[in-house]
Amino acid sequence: MRRLAFGLLLALGLALAQTDKLKACFIYVGPIGDIGWTHAHDQARKKAEAALPWLETKYVESVPEAQVVPVIDRLVGEGCRVIFATSFGYMDGVLEAARKHPDVIFGHASGFKRAPNVMTYMADFYQVYYLNGLMAGALTKTGKVGYVGAFPIPEVKRHINAFALGVRAVNPKASVYVKWINAWFDPAKAREATEALMSQGADVFAFTEDTPTVVQTAARKGKYSFSHYSPMLKFAPDHVVSGQLVHWEAIYIDFLKKVKEGVYTSKNLQDVDYFWLLKEGAVELGADYGVPINPKHVSLLKAARMKVGGKEVPVYDRVMALLKDMSSQAPTFDPFTGPLKDRKGVVRIPAGRKASLQELLTMEWAAPGVVGDWPGEPK
Amino acid sequence: MEEVFLRAVYFGTPLLLATLGALLGERAGVVNLGVEGMMALSALAAFAVAQGSGNLLLASLAAAAVGAGLGLFHALVTVTLRANAFVAGLALAMAGVGAAGLLGKRYEGLPLFLTAREEVFALASVALSVLLYLLLYKTRPGLYLRSVGENPKAVDLFGGSVAGLRYLALGLGGGLIGLAGADLSLAYRPSWADGLTAGLGWVAVALVIFVGWHPLRAVLGAWFFGLLFFLQFRLQGSVPIPPEAFAAMPYALVILVLALSGRGRAPKALGVPYERER
Amino acid sequence: MRLEKDPNPSPLKQALALLLGLLLALFLLWPVLLVYGLGPDQALGALLDTLREPLGRAEVLRRSIPLLLIGSGLALAFRTGFFNIGAEGQLLLGAVGAGAVALFLPPGPWTLPLMFLLGGALGAAWAFLAAWLRAQRGVNEILSTLMLNYLAQYLVLYLVSGPWKGETARGFLYTDPFPPWAQLPTLGSSLVHWPTLLLGVVLALGLQVLLFRTPLGFELRVLGGNPLAARYLGLKEWRLLFALALLSGGLSGMAGVGEVAGIHHRLMEPAQISLGYGFTAVIVAWLARGHPALVLFTAPLMGVVLAAGDGLKLAYSVPFRVVDVVAGLILLALVVADRLSGYRWRK
Repeated sequence: MRRLAFGLLLALGLALAQTDKLKACFIYVGPIGDIGWTHAHDQARKKAEAALPWLETKYVESVPEAQVVPVIDRLVGEGCRVIFATSFGYMDGVLEAARKHPDVIFGHASGFKRAPNVMTYMADFYQVYYLNGLMAGALTKTGKVGYVGAFPIPEVKRHINAFALGVRAVNPKASVYVKWINAWFDPAKAREATEALMSQGADVFAFTEDTPTVVQTAARKGKYSFSHYSPMLKFAPDHVVSGQLVHWEAIYIDFLKKVKEGVYTSKNLQDVDYFWLLKEGAVELGADYGVPINPKHVSLLKAARMKVGGKEVPVYDRVMALLKDMSSQAPTFDPFTGPLKDRKGVVRIPAGRKASLQELLTMEWAAPGVVGDWPGEPK
Repeated sequence: MEEVFLRAVYFGTPLLLATLGALLGERAGVVNLGVEGMMALSALAAFAVAQGSGNLLLASLAAAAVGAGLGLFHALVTVTLRANAFVAGLALAMAGVGAAGLLGKRYEGLPLFLTAREEVFALASVALSVLLYLLLYKTRPGLYLRSVGENPKAVDLFGGSVAGLRYLALGLGGGLIGLAGADLSLAYRPSWADGLTAGLGWVAVALVIFVGWHPLRAVLGAWFFGLLFFLQFRLQGSVPIPPEAFAAMPYALVILVLALSGRGRAPKALGVPYERER
Repeated sequence: MRLEKDPNPSPLKQALALLLGLLLALFLLWPVLLVYGLGPDQALGALLDTLREPLGRAEVLRRSIPLLLIGSGLALAFRTGFFNIGAEGQLLLGAVGAGAVALFLPPGPWTLPLMFLLGGALGAAWAFLAAWLRAQRGVNEILSTLMLNYLAQYLVLYLVSGPWKGETARGFLYTDPFPPWAQLPTLGSSLVHWPTLLLGVVLALGLQVLLFRTPLGFELRVLGGNPLAARYLGLKEWRLLFALALLSGGLSGMAGVGEVAGIHHRLMEPAQISLGYGFTAVIVAWLARGHPALVLFTAPLMGVVLAAGDGLKLAYSVPFRVVDVVAGLILLALVVADRLSGYRWRK
């Protein structure tokens, strides 16, 4: 009798587990095929599904901003209980849809408006860019580092600034030359912008664009580069030094677990904002997973020196020390620690404190050493 | 300075090849707005064959073959079936870009270890321009080909085959457009991604008109556009003009130059399907 | 038996040919969809769902609005030999005009009408530029309208990243949202901004009347049908061309006003505003074969194709390019079918 009851319970449990899958749906702004932003979110979706047996996922790619509300309506109709919208431009649409569907939980990447059932999240690279900047500063011979920027928005500006601060920490005379291409994906523009930077003397490159074009172009002329978003080491194994990698799954898994456990509901997300960095494992230093610095360039970086608090240390040691610090549970270092002036000499972050989250998210000024157009630069 | 010239040439090379291809078709009287789609599919073909075989020549030939096939398809629709060439071309552009995106999924994000040299494509494109010039202006088939774009009735009266010549022009032109695709995915940016052509096919359509349907002027036209495209980035930041104004410069100047230099003359029978009267 | 020309195919025969073309397109699509594990039943299901569900129907309507406006203008332009493929750019200029009124003029009951007026005027000016270049400098309008598309994009980009960048946009490339009085009402909770829809219907019918019931329409028809006769009759070709450009550009501009005032409520990165409507509308216009009023049928037809493609993408996680392939193949099949309907068998 007891065995029968146990068996029944077990069967019931299994049946429940079968039907009790949590359905999370992802709305992408681009095609998943590129190797940038959308690709990274889709990789994370797959990893989350693999890690959480009770999770079921679905995605829609290339959804224009204007279409996010009808798409959400359809997804809700198909039983999605958690919906992640992965582009800043979806912000108002997500909030509108969230009012229409108060029982559905929403996550909005890179936004800043929340609601009881809308949380925001972002995996940010600014610390990693600073570390890349240190290495770029050590590797440049001409004192000119090139940066191909997608759009002049705060996220990209913040990354360029962190990068420039790193470059200047090693080489106070070096500059970061910026060219805007006004596109997230455009290999032809990325190629010519890189060529233009090269003809102006830049010899180390970093960028924000969703293809490995900059890496490939730099390698043609034997120049160093830092990869962006996805592993790009294989595109130029001899010339990619390091770069930034993202782990959106860190956020997705954490959040979905808490939804499953009932910690997060459609009533209490008003103040839930994941702004995850190295500490939480949402981002990684390197041009390939587990390879923070291309072994081919380690000796160069060990030979290069920089001044830290009056002492000479190898750049390599500094990078590794800061990486360890910022990855720890209680980081002591932050690239945006005052006193910081912008390139016009205006104090932007006063001495004795770090930039606030608000300051990071709305950063419009240009760091010292940044050269080039800077649309929206404050007077 | 030398660097600027090289950029003009290398950026101009895929444009030149595509322009020559579209030009050949228009010389025979058939407008081809499908260049963007043809380029996308042949770029994919080139990359896929290069990945599979490691043979760049084979890859380029495959791209040319795909381009030629699509050109012949355009001929079937517009010459034999006499459909509206503008609409058919637009459809070809849409379906081509779409199909390349769908079929190319598995090649996205893959590196190409053997990359073709841009110089080879650049030299080949100039040689092809000269060849095309000689063909069009110094040979009898070339004369027929041009006549079929000007006065197909006369060609018909003299016993030439209007349809045959138009098929020939669109097939060969398609091959050239295919080579433009190969240049993009093997040399200019050795990899495949959906959206690789990024509107270059449309620029080529405009350049055909810009260069007045002349193969030698096409060389200068494509390089001129390449120069402007490169300069938008080279000059950005060094003059107090917003970057968007520089980015718009190539397109504005193409209109301006054409407006100032006077009119290129379009082939008279361009866009008119030929039907024999009885 | 042999094929011969049928100078006056009956409407029934034409319709049958088009239906046959559609079937042919679906047949060609089959292998493409099979690659993504989709049978024809599922594809058909997505199509039917689009028509059956209120959400799907709303999407069809929303997609039809800009196609209707642009398409009826283009139907007129193509009929008369002005190959305006710059509707994308004219639509963007319309959005700019709407933004100028919404963001910088004092509010009042005139706000929305003024947005349509200024947007339409800017769109018309953009097309006029191409017509003027052709008239005065012999610049082919295919080239100029294509290039003007790019110029319009960069103009919008400049505005949203520079002088018009919104205080509330936190540095992102958006203007501030339009105030409530500059937003169009929508049907229920859908995104169907019905005033633009109404305007589109009225204008399409208006153009039809203009074309077939007025002296200007007569001259336009003569010009399109037989330019030599037009010259012989002493028609002022350039003036007609200008009128044509103003009309088709103006309608595209109004389509842009509708998109930003009805859906986006702000200006943004240009690629997010236009979404390729200017090119899709070429198809719509061609299908209507020179009758602006017929666009009332062909625009929703393309609206169904676009919305069904979206549905397919959404229901089965198919790559978005499937929409392009579907639209392209259907168009090709229709072009061919249309030509074949102009023939008949003779025993």
